Amino acid sequence: MDLFTAITLAVFLPFIMAGILPAAEKVLKNRIGWYATATAFLSLLLVALAVPSVVNGENVQGSVAWLPSLGIEMSFYGDGLSIMFGLIVSGIGILIMAYSNEYMSKREDLSRYYRQLLMFMGSMLGMVFSSNIIQLFIFWELTSITSFMLIGYWRNRPMSVYGATKSLLITASGGIFMLAGFLVLNIITGTFDIATVLQNESMIETIKGHEFFLFALVLILIGAAAKSAQGPFYIWLPNAMEAPTPVSAFLHSATMVKAGIYLVARIHPIFSGTDAWFILVSGLGIITMLAAGFLAFRQTDIKGILAYSTISQLAYMMAMYGYTTYQYPGIGVAAATFHLLNHATFKACLFLVAGIVAHETATRDITKMGGLRKDMPVTFIIGSIAALAMAGVPPLNGFLSKEMFYESSLEMGHLLGGPLEYLIPAAAVLGGVFTFAYSIRFIDGIFLGKRRSEHLPKHMHEPSLIMLVPPAFLAVLVILIGLFPSVAVHYIIEPAAAGILLQEVHLHVSLWHGFTTALMMTIITFIAGIALYTKYDTIAAWQDRMNARYPWFSINYAYDRIVNGAPGKSAAFAAVMQPGPVKPYLVALLLLFLVLGAIPAMLVATTLVPADLNFNVPPYEGILLGLIVLAALGTAILRKYLHAVIAVSAVGYLISLVFIYLQAPDLAMTQILVETLFTIIFLLVILKIPQTFRENLTRSVLARDLLISSAVGITVLVLLLNATQGIASPFESISYYFIENSVPLARGHNMVNVILVDFRGYDTLGEIVVLCLAGLGVYNLIKSRSDSK
Amino acid sequence: MNNTLLSVCIALLFAIGTFMILRRDMIKVVIGITVLSHATNLLIVSTGAFLGGRAPIITSDDAGSPSGIIFTDDLASGILAPVIPEGTEMVFVDPLVQALTLTAIVISLAITAFLLILCYRIYQEHGTTDVSEIRRLKG
Repeated sequence: MDLFTAITLAVFLPFIMAGILPAAEKVLKNRIGWYATATAFLSLLLVALAVPSVVNGENVQGSVAWLPSLGIEMSFYGDGLSIMFGLIVSGIGILIMAYSNEYMSKREDLSRYYRQLLMFMGSMLGMVFSSNIIQLFIFWELTSITSFMLIGYWRNRPMSVYGATKSLLITASGGIFMLAGFLVLNIITGTFDIATVLQNESMIETIKGHEFFLFALVLILIGAAAKSAQGPFYIWLPNAMEAPTPVSAFLHSATMVKAGIYLVARIHPIFSGTDAWFILVSGLGIITMLAAGFLAFRQTDIKGILAYSTISQLAYMMAMYGYTTYQYPGIGVAAATFHLLNHATFKACLFLVAGIVAHETATRDITKMGGLRKDMPVTFIIGSIAALAMAGVPPLNGFLSKEMFYESSLEMGHLLGGPLEYLIPAAAVLGGVFTFAYSIRFIDGIFLGKRRSEHLPKHMHEPSLIMLVPPAFLAVLVILIGLFPSVAVHYIIEPAAAGILLQEVHLHVSLWHGFTTALMMTIITFIAGIALYTKYDTIAAWQDRMNARYPWFSINYAYDRIVNGAPGKSAAFAAVMQPGPVKPYLVALLLLFLVLGAIPAMLVATTLVPADLNFNVPPYEGILLGLIVLAALGTAILRKYLHAVIAVSAVGYLISLVFIYLQAPDLAMTQILVETLFTIIFLLVILKIPQTFRENLTRSVLARDLLISSAVGITVLVLLLNATQGIASPFESISYYFIENSVPLARGHNMVNVILVDFRGYDTLGEIVVLCLAGLGVYNLIKSRSDSK
Repeated sequence: MNNTLLSVCIALLFAIGTFMILRRDMIKVVIGITVLSHATNLLIVSTGAFLGGRAPIITSDDAGSPSGIIFTDDLASGILAPVIPEGTEMVFVDPLVQALTLTAIVISLAITAFLLILCYRIYQEHGTTDVSEIRRLKG
């Protein structure tokens, strides 16, 4: 199997398996979770097949034509970055699905749960391996939609519906901005293929010099920030914690929220090395890192703490990917990529631990917990390892990437000079201090201290192995990557960084590298973090007070105002725009016709009424046309239905005569037949409808309607007079084709017939379908009455 | 090319049809729609007709006289089909607009029939054909 096939299969396998999952559930019953786990495992194997070749610098690439006319193909591209994401997504996927076997009660709708999880995994894999940006967008929105379904898994809980809606509104509308950005990029480059752009240096130079550069960058970054809960868009992530905990561990720590980071990394080669990139990406990252770290303090929900910590950890990566100068475009790339991998391991582990704790204590409120180390020592050890890794304590993997974060911050500050030389590292340390404080809070609040038994169940114990092994496995990874970073660095980080920097990357990561400035910063972080932790409750109380005093000072407040106000606003809008009676709509449509038809006609035509009018007609024609007008007037003036119907069929029959002298014998014949049928139907219907209603035309209504109808009539007249005066058509008529070819190609002498049944046979088929549908509609309308009787 | 009288007639039909669809009586509205579709059919057919044009039926006299019209694009030499050579005379009125109109006539029959039955059912349910009255009864 070649690698392209393997990647394609890895992407589509979860979708296929999700499709046949309901059938499998019939056989496997409650063990369906293992089926999903096996699927994730297969996907992991398929992705892993590509690792050796990518480590050697050979990327996987291939495509299948999809919409060739629009230049859209289904194409996959696997470089180090994609492979790393693919491994994280499918690898964590295995653990999550296995863990869910125990976490999800057997009474839950397991089929729906695993189907959605698998579809999410497939979308995520499809997103990271997409080479075509339209395809990337489709998978991107698919992750938003599946995430919406998973967050709202418990459909009858209002909070989970709220959280799901919020995440969908924010991430999906961010996606629209991103699509706009992609289209701008396409205008600049003329291609939808990312790999083509990445492999073409001159194209990248064109983009950087293009006037739309900033425009495209801002649009794409809005999409990335919305997905990764950065900046003002962070508000969806805390509410998404209503999802089942394995879902949070999967989507909101390791995978979906990293999609935005992935996008930033993917477009890094295209946009980096510019001031705009540094200011926007790093600026957003640093601000979010500090704000989210600070806001984590007042969270009492253990998953809430983790949500804010995720936001701030993602912001680390944003900041690092943003570090760039013209000479050194990717200062923080390796560090960010390494932190990305580490964060996936320790954060997923923390979520799984939180799930265990919530499962056993039946609460997620940290103020009710404490002293759990005695009841569940193994969970305590696993949770502590992961939390200490997040805090950046050696020898765990978080320590290594935190050090690299400090180093790259120092370097960036040094390159920029001025006050920023100190400000950037200081901000980094402050972010680290916050992280340290809430990490300790997680351990201390749950496991240490005294047991507050009044809130907790009497008998708490370790969970079963199924729930314990996945976080334990991650905790072991956290330690192993910390102690022996070179393996992960060689096989995963170096190729991934190479995929971003587009050149070979060699990293030397080790636990001990002397007394560097970064190490000093880490020590400062620990001391300040411990000091801050002693004030933890004071700060949280202050935040609560401020929040109570100034409720409007929050983005959530604005969101709720907008979303809750929307139904009222749209109802008010609809009341104005759609008052109900048909007449205003008709008037609006006719006025639109006048505006759109008349104004261009006035512009094109030199005179309203052309000079050479041809009134020279044979008298019988004049009489015929006069009769038509007379009959038409009759329809309007005659009050009785019967009279009006006779008048309108007179119009129809007279028109068939006009068709004859317009040289249209087929039309004349059809018109006569149709008119006869029409008259019969009309008479049948008015037999059943006695005329009870007589409209009293007031003078003002009459005046208004006459005004509108004469305006329409005059516009038509002007258009017609000018049209027949020969406004040059920009194209030759295609009618010649039919005239020339009806005998040679169709062996038919009547061209109209040939067009209808031969050249445009499908149109006639459509016409027949319309007739059938109308017939069915009529039948059902009549039948619905007899049913209800 | 067309006589002005026909244009005036079409415009009048449009005006009358417009007036009719603004009425409150449903049946009158349906009649108005019929008048409008007549007017539209006439308009389309009249654009294809010209003085002295023949009905689009090929007789044996016309057989075997190539007109020299080019129907295939030849982008290399900058030819965008169809190309009508100088001096080609239009013999027939436009068959395409007639084919379009033929379809339109049949479809308007279907739509009118459907509308009429709809009116009939509404009358059965509400006992009136007044559009504004029906709207009031709905709630």
